[in-house]
Amino acid sequence: MSSENPIVQICNVCKRFGKIKALDKVDMQIYRGRIIGLLGSNGAGKSTLLRHIIGLYLPDEGHCTTFGCDAGKLGPKELSKIGYVHQEGELIDWMTVEQLIRYVSAYYPMWNFELEEKYIADFEIPTSARVGTLSPGQRQRLAILLAIGFEPELLILDEPASTLDPIARAQFLDLLLQIIQNENRAIIISSHILSDVEKVIDHAVIMKEGRILVDCSFDQLRERFSRVRINSLSGVLPAALPFENVLKCQRSNGEAILTVQDFSQEQIEQAAQSLDCQIEIQPLSLEDIYKIVAG
Amino acid sequence: MRILAANLKHLYQRRILWLFYAFLGLLVFLSIMAALGNPRAGKGQFVWFTVVAFLIGFIANALAIEVLTKPFSYCLPGHRKTVRKFIFWIGIVISFLGSLLFLAYPGLLSWEPILMLCSAFCANLIFYWLGIGLAFISKNTAAAIGYLWFTWFGGMFFDLHIILESAIVQCPVAIICVGLLTSIMAWFLLGDEGLARRYCAVPWVSLFDAWNRDKLQRYRKARAAIKWDKKLKTHPNPWVERFFLGRMQKYEFFRTGRYIWGGLYTTFAIIVSQWKQFVFFVLFMLAFLGYMGRLWLFMLMLLPVMGIAAHACSSVYSSMLISGGRNEKFVTTIALAATHAVLIAGLVIIIAALSVPLATIIPEFTIRGLNIAFHAINIKFFYAPLIFVPFAFTIQLFFFKKPYFVMVTVILLFMLLFTGGSLLKALSTMMNPIYLVIGLLVLSWGIFVMVLRYICMKRCLVGQGHTY
Repeated sequence: MSSENPIVQICNVCKRFGKIKALDKVDMQIYRGRIIGLLGSNGAGKSTLLRHIIGLYLPDEGHCTTFGCDAGKLGPKELSKIGYVHQEGELIDWMTVEQLIRYVSAYYPMWNFELEEKYIADFEIPTSARVGTLSPGQRQRLAILLAIGFEPELLILDEPASTLDPIARAQFLDLLLQIIQNENRAIIISSHILSDVEKVIDHAVIMKEGRILVDCSFDQLRERFSRVRINSLSGVLPAALPFENVLKCQRSNGEAILTVQDFSQEQIEQAAQSLDCQIEIQPLSLEDIYKIVAG
Repeated sequence: MRILAANLKHLYQRRILWLFYAFLGLLVFLSIMAALGNPRAGKGQFVWFTVVAFLIGFIANALAIEVLTKPFSYCLPGHRKTVRKFIFWIGIVISFLGSLLFLAYPGLLSWEPILMLCSAFCANLIFYWLGIGLAFISKNTAAAIGYLWFTWFGGMFFDLHIILESAIVQCPVAIICVGLLTSIMAWFLLGDEGLARRYCAVPWVSLFDAWNRDKLQRYRKARAAIKWDKKLKTHPNPWVERFFLGRMQKYEFFRTGRYIWGGLYTTFAIIVSQWKQFVFFVLFMLAFLGYMGRLWLFMLMLLPVMGIAAHACSSVYSSMLISGGRNEKFVTTIALAATHAVLIAGLVIIIAALSVPLATIIPEFTIRGLNIAFHAINIKFFYAPLIFVPFAFTIQLFFFKKPYFVMVTVILLFMLLFTGGSLLKALSTMMNPIYLVIGLLVLSWGIFVMVLRYICMKRCLVGQGHTY
């Protein structure tokens, strides 16, 4: 864990909507230089958590501090360091794209006009089109531009790529990696497209029913889970295999595929020595890990 | 279950429809009473059911279209042909039952009742098809049903019911021919293969969507996108953008003035850009309020409240993040309310000032015994919007997610106003009216600011799963 102060600190936050407990004693810190993947099923509380960070929601219990300020009391100076792409994609529909960009840029002293031009060219945004007439994908690209145009220190992306085509998604992921080159920044991304997310994140937070199940570095998470393929050289595997923390086991004709948790590579190799077999250790994809953790 | 039976189930499964049935039942009862209570020929008493058939046609087709617009229904096997069966079933049954009233028509000879029955049946069908047609051309049936009453009372005013009744009685063959022709046309149009395709997933507001803010918003967005591409292509004018952005830039970054001007820009840019149309709006309001007679003051208060209650407060609940915090939202919304109030008060002053000379020039006229005169508008009530605008904003702030409650609250507010009218009169005799007005101003603005402060500082500013 980083020794510096976190830019977001969420302590024991609870939030209810009527009878639904959207957040249940959530604790979390966001440090600079990280891309955090916020994962969870629909209704897990991801968007609620993100909205607490920027002060759109206020917690029923606990507190949320962003840039050292109570999130509910964030002022223009703090908010000008936060970019937010939200899943509903609310924009001002009657403006043209260029009018909207000019309008939003008027609020930010650090607006980067070169970045704006480059982004418009790369993402092929039709600047003279009316925002209300844009397709969902174009709208999403515009929302991303408005969130990154002032080079925020904290970029919050709530389902940012759900309506982008595969090429735009790849461009978008490259863009995130460029943004994080500046170590002063942090990105938190909530998405269901886990194959995309795992390419960029270095920290994972998995939520379920308003609780955080996992909050660790992505490398640590990947080390915790592995898939072991065992091929018996004699053609027969013993009925009981000497592995602990086995989550899943598939066996067929002298071959077994095991999914194990908290069992290091050395431990696996040691355990395999007692068997007359070949072993192959593979890391799990984020999607597989997610299914195990949240399933 | 047969597909037709499944469709007919909508008629009793939707609970809110029972409210409509109660209302339609009342109309049917009144139309029967009008015909049979004291039957007289040539008075238009027998055609009320025909008018009800129009309403039934409209509602039946609105239900059918509601199903058609749902994308899943396009793929349901055999479903596309069911619309025709559904509509014809209801139409034939209703038209036949309604035509039985003409058996009691006075002065019919031996064979004439049968002819009358056929003529009335076809007249009912024609009106039923008109209702069906109106539902097809309306994109917003909830709004269309509101306008139907104007047509109803307008028709009565011009004695169209008497003309219709005499047409049924005196030209039965022509009515039967038209009825059969329209029914054949309806049969083919409703059986058109492309019908389901044309309505599949189109933005459409059904009868019961007046309370559904999300759906209304999606509908408005879709309609607005078409409007912007055609009517409003050149709006907002570049000078409007330059003006507002210029005003914003006069303030340092992060200063409240920048957010206030930003809020004014997003709220008023389109209106300012269409300032030429504003002249027509003033003339329209002048005529409307001038001819309202004694009701003008009531309309003067009701219209801004309704308008603001329907559209304002997006600055508080916006989820589009700009660098303004809760405090900036609070101040910007106060500025917006004040601007609305001042602009509407200014509009009232202009209308009142114009109405005074016009009242002396415009002559009175009489239509069908009704005397219509243009009245001057009393300028001293210009403060009314200053009192009612903050109330409208308060209602909007409280019930932003629930347009139904906005309407109910507005109605309750005006009922209160009427009942409290005498109290206000008594108060104005007891104390100086200026103090009374100042007191009301302080009260309305005080409540608004307190509510706004509470919402901006203590409440969540976007809803769960809602686009604001």
